[in-house]
Amino acid sequence: MVNYLIILFAVTLIYFASVERLTNYIRLISLQGSLLFGIAIFELKEINTANMLFIAAETLFIKTILVPYLLTRIIKRSGVTKVHRDAMPGFYLLILSISALLFSVILTQLMHNQYINSIFMAVALFTLFTGLLLIVTHRLIISHLIGFLVIENAVFLFSMAVGNRMPMLINIGILLDIFVGVLILVFFGLRLKPRTNELTMLKD
Amino acid sequence: MVVLLFFTTAVIMSLLIILLKRRVLTKILSLLFAVFLIGFTFYSWQNLNRTEFSYFTFDSAGVLLLSILALLSIPTIYHGFIYTVDDDPKKHSIYHAALIMLMTCMSGAYLANGMTILWIFVEATTLSVAALIYHDRNDAALEATWKYVFICSTGIALAYLGILFLGFVYGRDDAANLSFDTLVGLIKQVNPLYLKIAFLFVFVGFSTKMGLFPMHTVTIDAHSVAPPPVSALISTTLMNVGFLSIFRVYSLFASSEILGFMNHVLILSGVLSLLIAAGYMLKAKHLKRMLAYSSLENMGLVAIALGIGGAGYYAAFLIIILHSLAKSSLFYQMGQLSRILNTFRLDNCGKYMALYPAGALVLIAGLITIMAIPPSGLFISELMIFRAMVNNNQWIALVIVILLLSFILYAMSIRIMHIVYSNPRRDFDPGPPSYVNPVETVSQFFLLGLVVVFCFYQPWFIADLINQSIAIFLP
Repeated sequence: MVNYLIILFAVTLIYFASVERLTNYIRLISLQGSLLFGIAIFELKEINTANMLFIAAETLFIKTILVPYLLTRIIKRSGVTKVHRDAMPGFYLLILSISALLFSVILTQLMHNQYINSIFMAVALFTLFTGLLLIVTHRLIISHLIGFLVIENAVFLFSMAVGNRMPMLINIGILLDIFVGVLILVFFGLRLKPRTNELTMLKD
Repeated sequence: MVVLLFFTTAVIMSLLIILLKRRVLTKILSLLFAVFLIGFTFYSWQNLNRTEFSYFTFDSAGVLLLSILALLSIPTIYHGFIYTVDDDPKKHSIYHAALIMLMTCMSGAYLANGMTILWIFVEATTLSVAALIYHDRNDAALEATWKYVFICSTGIALAYLGILFLGFVYGRDDAANLSFDTLVGLIKQVNPLYLKIAFLFVFVGFSTKMGLFPMHTVTIDAHSVAPPPVSALISTTLMNVGFLSIFRVYSLFASSEILGFMNHVLILSGVLSLLIAAGYMLKAKHLKRMLAYSSLENMGLVAIALGIGGAGYYAAFLIIILHSLAKSSLFYQMGQLSRILNTFRLDNCGKYMALYPAGALVLIAGLITIMAIPPSGLFISELMIFRAMVNNNQWIALVIVILLLSFILYAMSIRIMHIVYSNPRRDFDPGPPSYVNPVETVSQFFLLGLVVVFCFYQPWFIADLINQSIAIFLP
């Protein structure tokens, strides 16, 4: 079951490359949150109840509900609905995304280790590359925020790959999500003009 | 338990400042904190290599950097009082509470003996410094804070991935804190590819704090907007946090076969940092940004020094110490310069010697020390780096570094001399200069004087700490 969920998670990442409407991005972020909840439930069987509740709150409440809600508010407030026209066309992004997937699989094979679930590792690496691609190839601040959230999901997946052995690391990753991710969304996402594609006040 | 007492007291002081919002109380508590930090540093010297509260060790590298922070704490707080004198009570209290938290988190990062604890404190420095960069509450401050938090968070997430890779290396139940002591024994048995990836993630991630290429942009913007006393900390002690984080991982992996790979990464990153610093300093139009690029240059030199090895290890620590003293004094001076000239735009600056001779002397002395011109102590460290390069037959790197340093020296010299002696290039009415008491420059002359002393005499207790920090690399 976990493998199906992880593969579904990887599919959402490929879908990220082909969509242009910001509402679709938000739906994908929310879907990823619920998939991570499912993965956590099935994968972290040895973890204690308190940690499990913590992770459930993180994935189900923050990633699936709170973050998409805040992103929707930012989009409504700014009136921007699509990615910037200067962003890389979806076709090229798709090619880059699939290349990233292949690279992640090859890298995972090279690093085969008894402690690591290879599928987790491959998808986590792919998630990381997708997040970085979103940040590098898009120009709107809101797209950068979404890229950051995807990287956060990569961190979560990585920590799950060693989750049964290192619950403390997972908790730390969650704290990162809560303190920084939500801080960025609430404090800056609502203050900066999300339509802005050039933060050029500070330059040489 | 003293560590716990230190952190608890700092948090309580910070909370009291935020909740009570009384100027006098804020001043008393801030000064008390500085005294407390200095006392804590003395305690750490007395208890070298002792572990407290399981997660903190007073090791030589950590104590050395903590001492620099303690030394800079009083001038930073003092110049902070001057900078915030006209602020409303809310802004005033947020500034000083965040400053205390920043210094506390940096202390924690210096003394952390495991990767996860180190990471937590580095993350906490991002949050506290964000409040300080945003202090002026204008559009530029918002943009700089956004960039700082966003890029630092992305970088720190990458560093976290590197730490998780270390977790894969270990993979046991008792490795939850990933302490350096437990990891060091395992490194030789691990697939080198893991170590390389872990190092790259940690290096890129923590270079947001160290201000190194490729994540250097974040600190440049933060410098140009943050209040000068905060810039002094971001440019010195906070960069030292990034340096120490990278150095810890570097030392940890040094016994493995990836040492050569790490050295290549460090030298490449260092040379590219110098290249970028030289390029931007040649066209710099903003004084604080120029100083920020000068920090990039010095951190580039530190990376090169580490990558070269040999005498370079000692030189790296020497640059870290002396750069902290020289650059912080220059940034403190920026606070006074802005009150005299009312601008940081280089075209609008000029005649500083006539307007404020004490400040102009600080700028000239700062230029000499930061550019490693004798009698600056930094001259010794750069000489050590060049000698190590010659010993390693790294002639091409040596020529490139000397060329780039020459460009930087030229760029910075003509700009500082222009500010001190020339007329402003543009017709600019800055308004009447405020009165700035020359006594404010005392701390700057003191710090610059220390840098000069290091050219002739390096105190044995400092040299001992540096040698202990790099002991694993010594033959």
